[in-house]
Amino acid sequence: MADNVDFESLVAQYYEPLYQFAFSLARDEPEACDLTQQTFCIWASKGHQLRDASKVKTWLFTTLHREFLGIRRKQTRFPQVELEQAAPELPVVSPAAISRHDTAQVLAELARLDEVYQAPVSLFYLQDCSYNEIAEILQVPLGTIKSRLSRGIRRLQELLADKPGGPHEKQTTL
Amino acid sequence: MSINEAKTTLLLYRPGTADAEDPQIAAALALAKSDPELAHWLEDHCARQEALRVKFRQITVPAGLKEQIISEQAVLRRRIYWRPRIALGAVAAVALLAFLAAFWRSYPPGDDTLAIYQNQMVRIALSGYGMDLATDDHTKIRSYLAQNRAPADYVLPTALQKAAVTGCAIEGWQAVKVSMICFRTGRPLPPNQSSDLWLFVVDRASLKDAPENSQPRFAVVKGLATVAWSQGDKVYLLGTEADEATIRKFL
Repeated sequence: MADNVDFESLVAQYYEPLYQFAFSLARDEPEACDLTQQTFCIWASKGHQLRDASKVKTWLFTTLHREFLGIRRKQTRFPQVELEQAAPELPVVSPAAISRHDTAQVLAELARLDEVYQAPVSLFYLQDCSYNEIAEILQVPLGTIKSRLSRGIRRLQELLADKPGGPHEKQTTL
Repeated sequence: MSINEAKTTLLLYRPGTADAEDPQIAAALALAKSDPELAHWLEDHCARQEALRVKFRQITVPAGLKEQIISEQAVLRRRIYWRPRIALGAVAAVALLAFLAAFWRSYPPGDDTLAIYQNQMVRIALSGYGMDLATDDHTKIRSYLAQNRAPADYVLPTALQKAAVTGCAIEGWQAVKVSMICFRTGRPLPPNQSSDLWLFVVDRASLKDAPENSQPRFAVVKGLATVAWSQGDKVYLLGTEADEATIRKFL
């Protein structure tokens, strides 16, 4: 049972990755702090309901993501966006060009992605979560997650390639 | 599997992770070993992935967040613990007494740490407060605080003395009174807001881990830039909605 998990140990283990995930989505320090804190607050009141202690990490990330979506839905109603087909050939930014961007720029480009791609791509790069874990956290079928990751990564690289200094860095295509 | 299919599959490949155990990725990696063009593309791809991972991991966590989460939870736990007891005491007079007691003693003994004090004062600043006295006159503020037995003999940093004062309020902490003096940093404020810089002064004895000296201790609490220090028998906590650079100008 997960209610045996020591709260302080849990915070020590997960507050950093949770904050990083929150910040990658919200791009706002106070909001990311609140999301992280709220996640642990929900754990304190509902965490005992989790039967499998090995699912704690997934549970925490799922909860944080839900909280984020809940806040965003209150702020604005997102239009339903159909997934566009991934273009067969997309520009790929060079590693050197990526290195010239700072984290804020990369996150700003991440925010330009369709909402369905943002959380998967963030978890993909931040946490080294397996595809299964990402699917579990976001509660989306594995095949869908792979498809979203593929499109999200292509799109992110395309956006980074289009940034100043980017276009001439387009060096190859898929 | 064609070269293009392999590239599409490997787009999800992160070197150094368990991704290579995925059968499709394993097949694409095997193909890369025998195809120089794909191998060259893979090398670039891995460098791109690593560069992006580095960018994501450069997100830094604010100092004190862990302590803030733990201290907030400790407070919440105690509140939850007390809730049923209060419910049992349904008699109106008892409830009223409990309320009055809780007003001045929001936290049970043991919660007298600087972190919890900071959190409680920041919450007051952020969640809206009523100024007991609205004035731009420091003398009137000191007089009002002294009359109400709140800390009034505080020492303002030289720079803070020059800031525009807008009034004061008296708050509670561990059964002692806290003087809250409101200032303006000079930044434009929303129409309904009169202050964006707040100084809280409390007796040093009310905090078991009060700062040892006047060396400022900076922390971001709930998005508010704060600095705490001790001087004489008082602990000072200054907070602002602006950033740390701004708060330093008032020290």
